[in-house]
Amino acid sequence: MSDTAVIETDQRAPGRGGADGVPGHPFPGAQGGGRGRRRRIPGGSPMRSRIALIITYVVLAALALIWLLPVVFSLSTSFKSPTEFAFEAFRMLPAQWVADNYIALLNDVAGYPVLRWFWNSMFISTMHATLTVVVVSIAGYGYSRLDFPGKDTLFFTLLAISLFPVIANLIPLYEIVARLGWVNSPWAMIVPGLAGVASIFLVRAFMAGIPKEMDDAARIDGAGDFQIFFRIVLPLIRPILIVIFLFAFTGSWNDFLWPLIVFNDVEQMPITAGLQLLQNMLGAYDSIGQLMASAVLAMIPTLVLFLVAQKYFVSSLSMSSGIKG
Amino acid sequence: MSTSTTARREARTRTRRAPSSSRRLPQGLRAWLRALPFMGPHLVLFAVFGLIPAVFGIYVAFTQWNLVGDPEFIGLDNFRVLFDTDHAFHRIFINGLWNTILFVIIGVPLLIGVPLVLAVLLSRKDLRAANVFQGIFFVPGLISVSAGAIAWNLVFNREFGPVNHYLGTDISFTTTQPWAWGTIFVLTIWAGIGGNLIIYRSAISAVPQELYEVASIDGAGAARSFINVTLPSIRLPLLYTTVMTTTASFNVFAQPLMLTNGGPADSTTVLMMEVRDLAFGGGPSIAGVASAMAVLLGLVLMAISAIQFFIMYRRTDV
Repeated sequence: MSDTAVIETDQRAPGRGGADGVPGHPFPGAQGGGRGRRRRIPGGSPMRSRIALIITYVVLAALALIWLLPVVFSLSTSFKSPTEFAFEAFRMLPAQWVADNYIALLNDVAGYPVLRWFWNSMFISTMHATLTVVVVSIAGYGYSRLDFPGKDTLFFTLLAISLFPVIANLIPLYEIVARLGWVNSPWAMIVPGLAGVASIFLVRAFMAGIPKEMDDAARIDGAGDFQIFFRIVLPLIRPILIVIFLFAFTGSWNDFLWPLIVFNDVEQMPITAGLQLLQNMLGAYDSIGQLMASAVLAMIPTLVLFLVAQKYFVSSLSMSSGIKG
Repeated sequence: MSTSTTARREARTRTRRAPSSSRRLPQGLRAWLRALPFMGPHLVLFAVFGLIPAVFGIYVAFTQWNLVGDPEFIGLDNFRVLFDTDHAFHRIFINGLWNTILFVIIGVPLLIGVPLVLAVLLSRKDLRAANVFQGIFFVPGLISVSAGAIAWNLVFNREFGPVNHYLGTDISFTTTQPWAWGTIFVLTIWAGIGGNLIIYRSAISAVPQELYEVASIDGAGAARSFINVTLPSIRLPLLYTTVMTTTASFNVFAQPLMLTNGGPADSTTVLMMEVRDLAFGGGPSIAGVASAMAVLLGLVLMAISAIQFFIMYRRTDV
């Protein structure tokens, strides 16, 4: 194990010293002085491996460009003036950068309230993620820290039922939401998702790592369940709650099928469903920039969340398959 | 199971004996009462939005219903209609099912294979900026599929898009085959590989280096050690992602709706679009038939998950 660590530091150190993106010698062993068994890539000669590394960079860079293309191109298009589409030849970047399309969003776009949609989405996703964290953390405490007869049976029954495909539930779920009077209401998107079991499973697993002796000590000092939950457990499970908040927010923000079913009032929609109404503007010269500005607006919140909380997204995904990152 | 039943029976008799004193309540019941404030809210939500729809959803498939009045029980008629070759619903169902299966058959290997290749490339220890690349590949998954579809729609746009411009072609991508399917897969892979990529990458980084060194001493090349060391070592994450990706792919809906709207000539109309159209479309709702379709799709999904688990465990654990 320690041998591996040596190899790693040995290999990274020269790379860091290399000039602009060109790594130093990938094989310290090959520079002489190293032991032969430090060779990392199996069966490859240093020369072949250097070529393989360059090919890897080229492939990754080309793919990264493709991956960025739609976002960059919609961003650039959202800054083009309407006349540019009609009269000028194709350009990747605007001939002249204008903010007109974004200013237009302050009023309705083709009769559609894009900004209103944005705030609808903000309200829905924030509420949904916050309530998810509340429900999931207290339920997680129940399933993890308290003992009652049939606890595991109950929990795994819930888990099994929740694995039943969502599609088959869609129509009755609509009926229930309709009977609650939530058609065209943000609650139709905020509440039903709170019934999910997967997040409780995560919290439960996370809480299992917190020693129960802490609870016992607090209990001896006269603390009740609620005090133990708020004072001891809650502060310790903050990392997993942040992960759950992030995934609940992005999940809710990006939900598409369900809002198409429960909203028919244009004013009440979230922005992702609204975009579906806007997309036929793509053919029209004068509105294509506004359409792209609307799409960019819909991308911003989750992208900002990712930039702020990147490590939480990555680490939680690494863990989700049972592999520690 | 049996202990909880006896506990409950005990609880009943003891409460009858001493109903006024809560201190005399049996332990099991007391434990429940203590825990209920914590799980209670979720249990209520689960009952209303999880359990009832699951049960009711199956029932609706055996009824004639327009979402307005009461469902009327008609037995297996909805299913009979779907399998009756003379019936219009049969054609719709088979077309939707076929297009969904086509999407799964082509899409799942891509959604597993592309991120696996990328993860192997990113796992080179001498590669710099691996996390930047990973971030770039992951981010589209956080973009709402409708915004992503509009972006790709523009990229593939016949008049304004860079693809036709740089290739010097004049293709109407979303309205002619096989391009229409092509755009759907481009959007799907663009948005869908991030999660699997991160899972594979962390799984590969957890493979002990000693295994590669031994393989190297035995004369294994890069391809050999990938097949004989990497793949067996990450079989659990592979199983997990395959099951998750397959079930998610059967639910495909947004990409064809946003890019091709099911066209050209219904060739990209998937089952979820049919279910939505029948139940919530413009005309009178045919929720019973839609439910029957949804239940059939649900059964297919559960069967596939079960088969995948069975095959993967049998093959890997021998």
